[in-house]
Amino acid sequence: MRSRWRPSPAEERWLEVESRLGAAVPRAIVAERAGGWRSTGLLARTALFLLGLIAAALILGVLGFRDETTLLVAGVIAALAAEWLAVAKRLHASGVEEGLCVGGALMIGVWLTTVIAPRSGFAGGTLETLVLIVAVGAAGLRLLNPLVTSGAVIAFVYWVGATPVARALEPAIGSGVATVVVGCTLAMLALVLGARAYRRPSHDRMLDWLVATLPVAAYARPATWNVYEAAQIPGAGGTVRLAAAALLLVLAVAMLVVGLRRRRHAPLLGFMGCVACLAMELRLATALATETWLILYGLAALVAGWALDRYLREPRNGITSAAVTHREGPLDLLQTAGAAVLAQRTAPELPRSEPPVTPGGGRSGGGGASGSY
Amino acid sequence: MHTLESELRTLRAEGIIDDATAGNALALDRGAVFSLQLELRATLYAGVLLVMAGVGILLARNLDRIGPLAIVLMIAFAAAACGVPAMRAKLAGRGLTVAGDYLLLLAVLLGSAGLAYAERQFTLLGPWWSWHLLLLAVVHAGIAYAFASPRVLAASLTSLVGWFGVGVAAGEVLQFSYSTPSLGARALACAAVIAAWRYTDRRVRPETSFGSVFDHFAANLAFWGTLSWCLEWPWLAAGLPLLAAFAYGSVRRGLQTGREAYLVYGMVYAAIGICAVVVPRLHGMTASFGFVLIVVCAAAAALWQLRRNLREPGP
Repeated sequence: MRSRWRPSPAEERWLEVESRLGAAVPRAIVAERAGGWRSTGLLARTALFLLGLIAAALILGVLGFRDETTLLVAGVIAALAAEWLAVAKRLHASGVEEGLCVGGALMIGVWLTTVIAPRSGFAGGTLETLVLIVAVGAAGLRLLNPLVTSGAVIAFVYWVGATPVARALEPAIGSGVATVVVGCTLAMLALVLGARAYRRPSHDRMLDWLVATLPVAAYARPATWNVYEAAQIPGAGGTVRLAAAALLLVLAVAMLVVGLRRRRHAPLLGFMGCVACLAMELRLATALATETWLILYGLAALVAGWALDRYLREPRNGITSAAVTHREGPLDLLQTAGAAVLAQRTAPELPRSEPPVTPGGGRSGGGGASGSY
Repeated sequence: MHTLESELRTLRAEGIIDDATAGNALALDRGAVFSLQLELRATLYAGVLLVMAGVGILLARNLDRIGPLAIVLMIAFAAAACGVPAMRAKLAGRGLTVAGDYLLLLAVLLGSAGLAYAERQFTLLGPWWSWHLLLLAVVHAGIAYAFASPRVLAASLTSLVGWFGVGVAAGEVLQFSYSTPSLGARALACAAVIAAWRYTDRRVRPETSFGSVFDHFAANLAFWGTLSWCLEWPWLAAGLPLLAAFAYGSVRRGLQTGREAYLVYGMVYAAIGICAVVVPRLHGMTASFGFVLIVVCAAAAALWQLRRNLREPGP
């Protein structure tokens, strides 16, 4: 029996098979077993997600910004359009229905906040913020979308850190530590839950995203304040940093062990995030100049990468540093773009006293054009 | 955790996939083969990024204290040291490893920073200072070919783009108010040069691995150029047909090669171009929003349909 509202676990698994095997398996065979549900590739999904979000915002624009009810109407239209695409057109993880659904949920959430408290703001652990988080989280669960659910959980962690209770605790435990503790605890919980066998690949992916992103996201918010604090108040927050560092260290070790045992990328990426946070903590505890620690950490990363590459050139227990697929994916595109961005940043490091650039003339001059910039 | 073992076994039992494909897929699914290349590349990229950021600050803060000659020599030495693994691999007749490739990229970037600094301090090229970007493009291209490094080729193409006076950062490209027909012409000229280079490369080296790097640069530059032309009459008369032609070419290339990036380029740039042409000529917010909504929906539907027709290569 074909599922109606979203793919059944069995159907979703066949969609996953199609995504993994590409042209190696005939599409018609997978389509039949996937219950007619259709998906798309990562790049197209990203573009379609953005187009869906833009479309949701444009619906609001077309209706006009007369009063709060417009938000509800636009939100409902966007959400219904997303449901129509999912149910009638059987789109799953295609991007466009996800963008529309998230946009619609956000607009409905914003409308709800105007009903709850017409004049209050959105910052500071308030009920309105929680309503928005719940709206986005519900959209994420409906769509089984790891990006949206992770975004909602990260926003929830920030919300917890901004509640009056957490703020009252700050003088005792340190500023931002509540956010780090909640974030790391949830990441650990996701890591533990990841050990279970799930029928739905999307459930696994949602947990993976939490494991990979939560430590860095939870650390990033208070880290901004810690950098300021370290610069302005000598010796401030020492024990706080120690507690946060200890927590991150425990999580990093757990993630590394679990990642290698389960052979999963998410815990290893989470481990790398924890190491980055620990490096930041170490930088805060020392008085090194910015350029010195940047170069030292950069060299450490390069040496670690070089050593790992060398060690795993020959597979050890099935773990290798070589690519296992020759498909050109988003990572290749990212690397080309990354190299281009780095290359562009080197040339204008030291601009002349009178930059020979005019708006529209390009950043680096333009020797081949006119020479008049 | 989830495993697709039962589905993969079913496909093999039914003869839908061959033993080799099934074996590889099962090995990956069970974790019998597990690649750390993603983590490795992220670490190495972060390393290059941090070192370059540190060197940039070091140069800016210590100009007077260290002295220009010492700085240039230090950077040259560091660049040479980073190039050692690649040189050793080359001399031993081995291919470039991932780490060697990133260290080579760092060497090249350090060389760029050193040359830019030397040019600024010693004004080696005088009023023709921006030609050092062309010099960098040529030198980097030579290194890219010598070591078969697509990443160094990307650095070379970026220098070439800079020499043409076109920025590649997203922030610059999206600032439509700064886009001028002159910028568009330079971007198109640069795209043409890169396309010609790509054509020659493929003719001379049929086994080239640089094709996709050339293609991404040429496609983006060509689209940026035509978008700049779409903003202003009479350039619009040439810009719009060019945009349509490039969008068609990009989509066709995507379908031929099985790479969805070109479908995305074709549809998204075409949608932006159409909106850039029509919206300034519409009166009223509702009409403008309504038109953009129609274009966005049409672009999304077309992209979806085209993506369904695309067959990605197997694993």
